[in-house]
Amino acid sequence: MKKLIYSLILLLVAYILWGGLRSAKIDSGFDVASFAELPVQVGGRIKPLDSVARNTLLILSARQKVITPEGATLSPIEWFMDLTMRPEVADTYRVFKIEFPDDLGLAGLAEKGQRYYSYNDLQPHFEELRQLYSQIDPEPQKRSAYDKQIADINDGLMRYHRIMHSLHPVGGPDRLDRLVDEYQSYTATIGPGLVELRKQQAGEDYDAALLNRFIAFGDDYLKLSQIAMLRVVPPPPPVDPMEDWKNIGLELLDVMKGDPLSPYVTSYAALTMAYRSGDMETFNNEVSTLRQRFIGDFPSEIDRVHFEYVFNSLQPFYMSMQLYVLIFLIACLSWLRWPKELGRAAFWLLMLAFAVHTFGLLARMYIQGRPPITNLYSSAVFVGWGAVLLGVFIEKFYKNGIGAAMASLVGFSTLIVAHHLAMSGDTLEMMRAVLDSNFWLATHVIIITFGYSAMFLAGALAIVFIMLGVFTRSFHKETARSLSGMVYGITAFGVLFSLVGTILGGIWADQSWGRFWGWDPKENGALMIVVMGAIYLHARWGGLFRERGLMALAICGNIVTAWSWFGTNLLGVGLHSYGFTDSGFYWLVAFWLSQSVFIATGLLPWRYWRSEFGQANDRKERKRILIASEPVESTAQSR
Amino acid sequence: MRPLFQFFSSLKLTVVLLAFSMALIFFGTLDQVHYGIWETQKRYFESFLVVWAYPEQWVGYDFLFWLHLPMPGGYLLGGLLFVNLVTAHITRFKLSWKKSGIFLVHFGLILLLVSELLTDLVSVESQMPVDEGGTSNYSTAFRDNELVFIDRSHPDHDQVHAIPASLLKPGKTIDVPDTPLQIRTLSYYANAEVGRSTAGTNVETPATQGIAPRMGIVISPKAESFADEDINTATAYVEVLGSEGSLGVWLVSNVIDERFPPQIVQYGNQDWEMALRFTRNYYPFEIELIDFSHDKYPGTEIPHNFSSEVMVRHQDSTKNQKALIYMNHPLRYEGLTFYQASFANQDTTSIFQVVRNPGWLLPYVSVLLMGLGMSVQFGMHFFKFLNKRRT
Repeated sequence: MKKLIYSLILLLVAYILWGGLRSAKIDSGFDVASFAELPVQVGGRIKPLDSVARNTLLILSARQKVITPEGATLSPIEWFMDLTMRPEVADTYRVFKIEFPDDLGLAGLAEKGQRYYSYNDLQPHFEELRQLYSQIDPEPQKRSAYDKQIADINDGLMRYHRIMHSLHPVGGPDRLDRLVDEYQSYTATIGPGLVELRKQQAGEDYDAALLNRFIAFGDDYLKLSQIAMLRVVPPPPPVDPMEDWKNIGLELLDVMKGDPLSPYVTSYAALTMAYRSGDMETFNNEVSTLRQRFIGDFPSEIDRVHFEYVFNSLQPFYMSMQLYVLIFLIACLSWLRWPKELGRAAFWLLMLAFAVHTFGLLARMYIQGRPPITNLYSSAVFVGWGAVLLGVFIEKFYKNGIGAAMASLVGFSTLIVAHHLAMSGDTLEMMRAVLDSNFWLATHVIIITFGYSAMFLAGALAIVFIMLGVFTRSFHKETARSLSGMVYGITAFGVLFSLVGTILGGIWADQSWGRFWGWDPKENGALMIVVMGAIYLHARWGGLFRERGLMALAICGNIVTAWSWFGTNLLGVGLHSYGFTDSGFYWLVAFWLSQSVFIATGLLPWRYWRSEFGQANDRKERKRILIASEPVESTAQSR
Repeated sequence: MRPLFQFFSSLKLTVVLLAFSMALIFFGTLDQVHYGIWETQKRYFESFLVVWAYPEQWVGYDFLFWLHLPMPGGYLLGGLLFVNLVTAHITRFKLSWKKSGIFLVHFGLILLLVSELLTDLVSVESQMPVDEGGTSNYSTAFRDNELVFIDRSHPDHDQVHAIPASLLKPGKTIDVPDTPLQIRTLSYYANAEVGRSTAGTNVETPATQGIAPRMGIVISPKAESFADEDINTATAYVEVLGSEGSLGVWLVSNVIDERFPPQIVQYGNQDWEMALRFTRNYYPFEIELIDFSHDKYPGTEIPHNFSSEVMVRHQDSTKNQKALIYMNHPLRYEGLTFYQASFANQDTTSIFQVVRNPGWLLPYVSVLLMGLGMSVQFGMHFFKFLNKRRT
């Protein structure tokens, strides 16, 4: 039996890990993997094209895959290749996610049950969309959900268009299949074109056809330089890492100034032609040449870019999310059957999930060259990580599956939150100067966020206490005491970290703005956590509340922590309001409501508690009432 | 006396006060959306009592407009917590190793409360813009104004007689220090719209002298704004009196500044320039901005670094100093701290935040005590817990 359980679990884990590794490999004659690693400068950093493809797709479709009309599944980079090199095909892919297509009122667009639409689906409605867009509130923060949907479609189409134009000029097949010729004839036109232009300006006779061709090139590339989104052309060597890269249009325009045309531009043209004609060999050779050139120019960047690609394809957070679900299920099952075997499995799986989670965290730090928390997304990743770390310790000490279950629950939930935060685009952006690396900054953010982890874990454990106590029979005094001890210990950790972090934040503020404390919303939020923790600790030490009162306080901790973490950002004021999310508001309210329900459940009179623990308390309470009322009766009789 | 002591030292009071603090901080955060950080800070945290009103902007205001929550303000709560803590230590606590962590935390907390109060009461913040290649020997507090009379008759220096705007109460007569002049404020507006009348110069204005009647300038009072980025246009009608009586009424405003010809008050054979301007703090040294740099991340508009290379020239030249001021690296000099706050004019002007806070070191000390105390306390608990597990 034991062996069967273990091997079953092992099989499941292998399945999850294999799923993650498998998605990293793409089989097609084209060297897609090398193409995915080609460099681009975005947000102040050099990244692989793969990251751009994924982020773009996340913004447009809220997922990292494309399903073609034929039913095949494409990875983000394959989609990106089609978008830039075979736009006529990419235009048929349904990549624009429209949550409520009916609301738009566009005749003939909405299909029943369909939330994804292609460029070609939307194209007949461009005029109407433009009109709708012109009517919505120009200030993003004041937009309604309806306005936001229109703005999202509009911005999405714009982004799609600009990404499409990133590697070369776009046009019909007659243009895309002859890009190399186009560049050749362009560079050949520049010299004579300039001569004719000078002639025209001097009022002499000139070759009008030649001049017009030259001017047409110039106009076209000027437009391209405004549209092309990605900076894919590095400056010629020797390179300075702080130098701006150019987009394709700008590079082509600058050839007029006498600069030589970058070999990156011609390579992309050759790549495109090879890809369109299905010429795998040329394509693969061209990609390899491009990569070699990049390695030669940026020897210090290549490892990082390669690693980012590997990190992207492994999706460690997605992997740990699946593991957390598995752990939660195993831990819950362990309370019903085979507690020892399943409990042990849950513990070791938690260690594994934690290792994967840690790998993801460290990978992001390496890629970005920054401390782990740089924005709301990374804070979510970190909160989960911290909770799991604490959960590992709890599980190690108590060995009852509760620590593992709750740690995996918090880990999973925060990764879900992170997943949704990632929809807004790049999660590895550079930070503003104010938030640039500084010892106090990095430490205070990390420590406060670890405080969040502890508060959430304590809150989750308190929820277990109440749920088990109210709804199950097998909840004894001993379980109550050990759970209560866990909540106490974790809350104490939370208070310690929140306090120290808040204080370090004060030190940082003093160094940055000249005031230790500014009553900024985020600072206030952190302070509220400290005060909440102080209430809990004083109530416990002073014996003001018994176990369930303390549990209610710990769940209040969840409410306060969620406010501090997200609520304060929703206000949109203060120095820390850099991570604005608006649909987040409804989720926050929903979370608060759910926590209030837990608190209310916990405050139900003892007689409604099904567990032995609750029943015992009920009896005790009745006895107390009886004792309290007795002497009164006896004195009455004696009179 | 006993019951009073018991009440003030009780843990119940602590918990109640802490709960009130939570509410105060929460509502004091919410109201920042409508009133800005400065005003909210004054209303909530530097007060004894505050009333939260249901915001007009929220849904259901029509039904909930009556909803007001009174609560104790920061000074009251802070004061009570202070008393609670001190009495608790006098009556209940016995100094022992086991409690040493708690003692440290509480003592640090007391120090922190005191230092916050001190900061509220004595710290001064102002701003100093300096152009590249230029110098400045004063900073400007954009939230305070002063009425000044400047005597420019000395060849090598000007003499400035300043009256804080807080003293400009309508109907009150004040002597201008060290001059034969007196002023009487006719009206003072914390914020106003100042502009030229469309009717030309034939417009009714209380002003009889200076720029207002000459250029037909009229004002309309506005509500004072507390938003962080807004600057209020303080404006006043001021009558200037010599010993024989009125010399006329002038309109002064902090938008009528150096861009306009000076408003001259003539009395006897002396001239004064009269102006209402943002309060300036003069220093015995000047700051020269040698170079300001503003780098961005490549290919983006995200700032990567702001820094100002400055030379400080003191009247006492032994105190001269060169410094680089950049984010998180302020210059502490003569009890003042200069922070890189902002920049202007296509990166050729650097703006420093100048803070005088004599108590700036206190939070560091209290923080150290609290951190240490917490570590001791929880450390002891934790090891006790570990030992119990092991046995």
